[in-house]
Amino acid sequence: MIQLIFFLSIGGLLFASLFFLARRKPRPEGSSGALIEARQALMALQAGLLPAQLVKRIFAPEDWEFVRAEAPTAVRELFIDERKRVALLWVSQVRTQIHNLRRFHRGAARSYARLNPRSEMELAFSFAGLILACRMLQLVIYVGGPYAAPRLIGSMVDAASRACKISEQSLAFLNAAQLGVLNGRPTGSAAV
Amino acid sequence: MWRWPIEYAGIAVQLFLLLRSAWARLLTRYYFFYTYIASGILGSAILMTMLLRTPALYAKGYWAVQFVTLVAGYGILLEIMNHVLAPYPGAERFARAAGVAAFCAIFLFALLAPFIKSQWAPVVVIEFERDLRSVQSLFICGLLGVIFYYGIPIGRNMKGMILGYGLYIVTSLMALAVRAYAGPSFSAVWKVVQPLSFDISLVIWLVALWSYCPNPEPDPNIPLEQDYEALASRTRGVIDIIRTYLRKAARA
Repeated sequence: MIQLIFFLSIGGLLFASLFFLARRKPRPEGSSGALIEARQALMALQAGLLPAQLVKRIFAPEDWEFVRAEAPTAVRELFIDERKRVALLWVSQVRTQIHNLRRFHRGAARSYARLNPRSEMELAFSFAGLILACRMLQLVIYVGGPYAAPRLIGSMVDAASRACKISEQSLAFLNAAQLGVLNGRPTGSAAV
Repeated sequence: MWRWPIEYAGIAVQLFLLLRSAWARLLTRYYFFYTYIASGILGSAILMTMLLRTPALYAKGYWAVQFVTLVAGYGILLEIMNHVLAPYPGAERFARAAGVAAFCAIFLFALLAPFIKSQWAPVVVIEFERDLRSVQSLFICGLLGVIFYYGIPIGRNMKGMILGYGLYIVTSLMALAVRAYAGPSFSAVWKVVQPLSFDISLVIWLVALWSYCPNPEPDPNIPLEQDYEALASRTRGVIDIIRTYLRKAARA
């Protein structure tokens, strides 16, 4: 019986893999499109999602303290609901951009003949861990509200900002001129 | 009753597949794959002749042909690796490592199995084929894992080749596993299921390999850094920093 279960499990695993292959849609991984996406992800993280002022504003406890002290219950509830929604959207956006950076790494790594499978496995688990951490943060905000984990959010913002700086070094070779070529037009001659 | 019509239909589709490949000039492009198809046709012809002239030898001949086509089937895996992963040396290296790991896993299982349960039946032909099919299954799983992970694009020809062969392997593996467990009582079902699944695979191949559809090539204009280690260490640096901060936050 153990044997039967073992071999049926292998068959089930292969069947599931084939199912995903059949449903798979082609994505421009590692193509020039993916590189542009990676660059855009970095820019979105730096300019749009991680500036300290924006994050402080989303999670500012002073706002909540003011509303709690001055507004009636209905307004308080509305405030908490909307802040929660904004916070969840923010974490989801950060996660998406981390996904994009991961895709960029995979798209680049697959072309290296000297790729080290062990390093790749380590990196894969690490990225998975980070995405899981984002998920956990989403869960904490969903259950406990936007003011449930201020330290975690602060640290995450700090870490993600540093990550962006290092990723920027990784993507430094993708300067504006090369991006222009990848986009199919020379830099500085955008459609007028 | 159903077995023979299914087998005859299979031979007809195999012949048509081979003729179509000659017409569409696919023979030289997918050499290993069509060698497998040709070996199947040849094997069927030999078995038919045996059945008509020396039926007593049919059972032995069946297993011999089955093993020859099984070994030729590894050529399909080679074909898939050559066409899908060749432009991506990094992913190819990873897939090779995954293939070796799959082989080691099943080899280790085969070594340990007698110690886990001493009263298991001795190795018979069916069990041996089942073990080889499971190695192929794990190999395809590893290959697909690499394809999914690195987001490698696949053309229609290769997708059909993987789906068709994978489906046949899954059905064979499951049927053989149940046959080995249930004994001869399952033979009647097994004798229909296995050729039927092969016919379905042939139809998938016929549709997917109707004309040449090259696998998408990576963009040659992509500027890459010179060193993989530089890329990996930078990515590792990013991850380490985020992890350190999250850990600090968790402790706080």
